[in-house]
Amino acid sequence: MNCPAKGGKELCLEVRALSFTYHSWKEAKNTPVLTGVDLCLEQGSRTLLLAPFDRGKSTLARIISGLCPKYLPGVLEGSVHVCGKDLAHTEPWQLLLDCGYVSQNPQEQFVALSVEDEVAFPLESLGLGREEIARRVDTALTNWGLQDLRSSSQQELSGGERKRVLLALQQAVNPRLWVLDESFDDLDRSWREYLTTLIREGEGTTLVLASRYLEQFEDLFDRYALLEGGKVRFGAKAEILHLFSVLCGDGLANPLKGQKLSKNVEHTLVCSDLVTVRTRVSTLEARPFRLSVPHFTITSGDLITLVGPNGSGKSTFSRLLCGLDEPRGGSFTLDGKKMGARDLNRSVGYLFQNPDLQIFLPTVREELSWSLKRRKDLSPDQVTAMVGECAALFGLDLEETPSTMSYPLRKALQAAVYYLLDRPFYILDELDNALTYSVALSIIALLRRNGAGILLITHDRTFASLVGESTYAIEAGVLESI
Amino acid sequence: MTTNTFVAGSGFLYRMDPRAKIMAMLLICVLLFLAITLEGLYATVVLLILVGSVNTGLRHTGRTFKSILPMLLFMALFMPFNVRSGQSLVSIGSFTLITREGALQAARLGGRFIGITYACTLLFATTPMTDVMLALRWYRLPYKASLVVTLSFTYIPFIADSFTQISESHRLREGGELEKRRSVFKRLRDLLPTLTSALVVALRSIPYLAMSLEQRGFGRSEKRTSYHSLDSYRHGFTDFVISLTIPIVFWLTFRAR
Amino acid sequence: MEKNRNALKVAVVAVLTAVVVVFTMIVRIPTAKGYLNLCDVAICFIAFTFGPWSAFIAAGLGTALADLFSGYAQWAPISFVVHGVEGLLVALIVRQKGSVTIPFVTKVVAGFVCMATVSLGYFALSAIFISGVSVAAAEIPWNLLQSGVGVVLGLALAAAVKRAYPPVSSLAW
Repeated sequence: MNCPAKGGKELCLEVRALSFTYHSWKEAKNTPVLTGVDLCLEQGSRTLLLAPFDRGKSTLARIISGLCPKYLPGVLEGSVHVCGKDLAHTEPWQLLLDCGYVSQNPQEQFVALSVEDEVAFPLESLGLGREEIARRVDTALTNWGLQDLRSSSQQELSGGERKRVLLALQQAVNPRLWVLDESFDDLDRSWREYLTTLIREGEGTTLVLASRYLEQFEDLFDRYALLEGGKVRFGAKAEILHLFSVLCGDGLANPLKGQKLSKNVEHTLVCSDLVTVRTRVSTLEARPFRLSVPHFTITSGDLITLVGPNGSGKSTFSRLLCGLDEPRGGSFTLDGKKMGARDLNRSVGYLFQNPDLQIFLPTVREELSWSLKRRKDLSPDQVTAMVGECAALFGLDLEETPSTMSYPLRKALQAAVYYLLDRPFYILDELDNALTYSVALSIIALLRRNGAGILLITHDRTFASLVGESTYAIEAGVLESI
Repeated sequence: MTTNTFVAGSGFLYRMDPRAKIMAMLLICVLLFLAITLEGLYATVVLLILVGSVNTGLRHTGRTFKSILPMLLFMALFMPFNVRSGQSLVSIGSFTLITREGALQAARLGGRFIGITYACTLLFATTPMTDVMLALRWYRLPYKASLVVTLSFTYIPFIADSFTQISESHRLREGGELEKRRSVFKRLRDLLPTLTSALVVALRSIPYLAMSLEQRGFGRSEKRTSYHSLDSYRHGFTDFVISLTIPIVFWLTFRAR
Repeated sequence: MEKNRNALKVAVVAVLTAVVVVFTMIVRIPTAKGYLNLCDVAICFIAFTFGPWSAFIAAGLGTALADLFSGYAQWAPISFVVHGVEGLLVALIVRQKGSVTIPFVTKVVAGFVCMATVSLGYFALSAIFISGVSVAAAEIPWNLLQSGVGVVLGLALAAAVKRAYPPVSSLAW
């Protein structure tokens, strides 16, 4: 039973028959994201809600925090009560002490210029005295190891540090219900343990939404639930985990194993003795960061992964490899010929982590046709045919507006654009971020169809093991094979 | 591109209360426009430059001067032509190039320009932006306005960064096909998709920013308190007295009779 | 329940101000006055897409901040007034009830008003406060060029963004 009968223990969160459909900016109506969700959490309970990406998990979290549909227009049916307050008649700021939401994407939640101002902001809203604010800020920053980063701005922080700032903020405010969306991702092991302890020993109610790193949730939670088909379903731990894995497509065959490639020509890109210096964004680094690559080779059809924590230099190397930056020393050769930056632009495609930075045009059709139209050797009919074929391959609707498409579809569009560019090599930056493994693997398989060599950058070792035939890592500024 | 106006240094200006500094800057600017003798004007300017050098260092003072040099040269070239009548100073044959009055007016306007530049620049070079905002709030600037300013400071690097990355990915897609020979018109037209994309990225962040503000309690009925304060500035009263006295003294001394 | 949109209004103005600052500082051609840049492109875009208040504050504050960061603090108040009024007037002229497309004539009028405001505004205020008549007059052709390009590109951007991101109309105030 999702929701107990009336009476009994006090409920911190009461969601009954909740349905939500996003507003459609086109003629056609959108399909509902949530259809009749029932979810009730008792005071002091700890619940794990599993859902693959993009199936309504973040939507549900935002509805609970009172942000949806106020800011993300749509039609909402049913009722939601947080600590007794009916969300249909409550503004988000009234829920400050009742519900704290830590988003999957920390960047979108920052409002202040420095870390300490960020933590202080909600405390200022509460009208607390200056000493009280200072005390709470200091405690929270110390607990989360952020004392040295007090005056850093958001730009200077790594992904894990940003998550810690948001968690420190919640600790300082201490609301009754904590809604954590993928908060364990991006954190180092020690911080994951600290968060686990915090949840276990706290008196508040916790709802953790997750889809990854599930091994660490040993006996932390009272109840396990799965969000599938727009409905929430409770069950025993083993059962839920199994169903979740099926939903993510973990059981599906890895499309990369034994993939047949159509190899027309085989290319080999070699980097030797690369040296570069990067002035770090962070003000904390006294010396500039130095990266050296003694030897790196990638051939058509290769699957190479580059692993390492944030800030170790993976992006620096990628930028050198695709010709966005020039190295201080060393050289690149393709099939024996020396390559300059311009040549590398033409040979290596780099898919940024954020797909929105690589999508320019208002419709999928225009986006895909753009590069092809500039080629002199294709007739308009050929262009249309190629665009249509590509869209079908990646599951894209030609008339859609990219900015209103879901994240996985935008990622697919980004990949489709590069697929049409037909580069011999591709660098994929953190492709698995916010995608299920099976979706990410299928994108890689598609890009690899024509025999391209793939370099995947990731900090998720599990995903790396699913992909990589060979792995490199950057240790103390030196890139080596492991 | 930097959004940092603050220049690290040590000196009495750094310890002066920002509220008094704002008043000083305004009064000095007013002083420069009043009818004072040319000597008085330049005395003020020299004082400003000296105070600036002592506090922010000669390098910054020099840099400031360098940045306004083109304008000063421009003024020097054009201005003497303003005043045609009067005693001739430099002439070619019977054609008067520069008159005495013209030269004097040029000197006055040039001096005023230098003075205003240093007054404004010094204020921001010696005061961190958060303190400037706090001082303005003390002058009754509404909280919402100061919030807009601090929020835009937060977003400027984000948008600049997105724009750079979008241009780069544009460059990657082009694959180096386009050559430098493009006309200005073509360049602007090719800039359009990049600008559109950068704008869309910026605009999409607006609802999330508003969501965060409300989640963090913006809009609550309690009176908002402030984590930072100007308490670290110890001698507010003295600073105010100095800010008021010096301009007034200068005016009384150098008032044109 | 009456909708309190204060947070959204603050967010809109803050981000648009940042947009104006970035556009002003990314493409720069130095001249005697300061530099030629894309600020008018951004201001016209905002004026065509958003309402008068957003345009006024974002344009004025944005250009003033950009002047501050570039070391031209003395121009900041003038930029605030001139560009603020530019944004305000253009937005007022093209404001339509509902989502009716703006008539071509209105666009032309808005364009002329924009160019006039910028050139005359800078001319008048610079002449009085900074540099005198003749120097300020020399800047007029540059300002006309910059604001002219601004109107045309701003219009193109407004149309392009509307297509690429339809929800933008829900943000306008």
